[in-house]
Amino acid sequence: MDKSLVLWAVTLAVGALNFASRLSFIAWFSRNEMPPLLARALHHVPVAMLTAIAVPAVVFIAPATLDLSWRNPRLIAALMAAALAWWRRSTVLTMAVGMSTLWLTRWLLG
Amino acid sequence: MVPMLMGIAPFGIVCGVSALTAGASVWETLAMSLIIFSGAAQIAATQLIADGAPLAVIVLTCFVLSLRFLMYSAALAPHLRSLDSRWRNVLAFLLTDQAFAATIRRFRESKDLRGNVSYFLGSGALLWITWAVTTVVGRLLGSVIPASWELDFVVPLCFIALLAPLLRDRVSVVVFAVAAIAVVGLDALPMRLSLICAGLIAIVCGVVAERLRSGTRRG
Repeated sequence: MDKSLVLWAVTLAVGALNFASRLSFIAWFSRNEMPPLLARALHHVPVAMLTAIAVPAVVFIAPATLDLSWRNPRLIAALMAAALAWWRRSTVLTMAVGMSTLWLTRWLLG
Repeated sequence: MVPMLMGIAPFGIVCGVSALTAGASVWETLAMSLIIFSGAAQIAATQLIADGAPLAVIVLTCFVLSLRFLMYSAALAPHLRSLDSRWRNVLAFLLTDQAFAATIRRFRESKDLRGNVSYFLGSGALLWITWAVTTVVGRLLGSVIPASWELDFVVPLCFIALLAPLLRDRVSVVVFAVAAIAVVGLDALPMRLSLICAGLIAIVCGVVAERLRSGTRRG
């Protein structure tokens, strides 16, 4: 499929699904309580999905090529950034330190 | 309000950079931001498009991401019951992580529905416009900055910045560890299904871990 077509299809489909999730209890089930099991499961969605999206970009240096060694600059930079984000909660600082660490380790490792 | 707008600006720029890796034009980037209006979903979608994942997998992955809005929607619903449906639709459209964080306390503490709704509407609209503008800025920046700078790495960094502060209890650490191991272990799955499978496995493990924990506490 043409890339632009995929982009538009994704935009419309994901836009509609997002709107439906946002509307759900506000409009459709406003008289219903959320089932407790669902509430507990939803609580874990952010950690589970953010991890699943972020980790491959850090540990795979090429498609299907895993590098968990200290010679992977992205891994070093990600660990630095994670420690800082845990401690300080600043998005801008985390990204600045992460990028600087990446460039520095690339330069050091040649 | 101003610190919150400053907070989403870097996220918007990152999202614009990510849109470029999927080959999105400036107009397509703008349309995504105005219609989807969710950084996590837009980044996941553009990364999956860049990886060549099929439409169904992209939409399904973003759907799981969007499930967190059910939590916000349920928390706000009791406060919006008396509103007519047109306004509820508008507020629902503007419901984001940031708008929820900014308004839920107001709704819980004050009965002034008119004031609370105006505040929600104002902050939501401001976030929507800021989001659209900053993603376009990111998309433009991405095409100017040379590839050797690896600007695309700001995408995982941004997610790390959102993720790390959430890992403050043992169950969240379990969810993180399971998701990380599963997404690497399942990498060989076709069509980038590893993301959604790892996410779902981690969510189930989180629910089980929580149950085990509360079980030992009681016993």
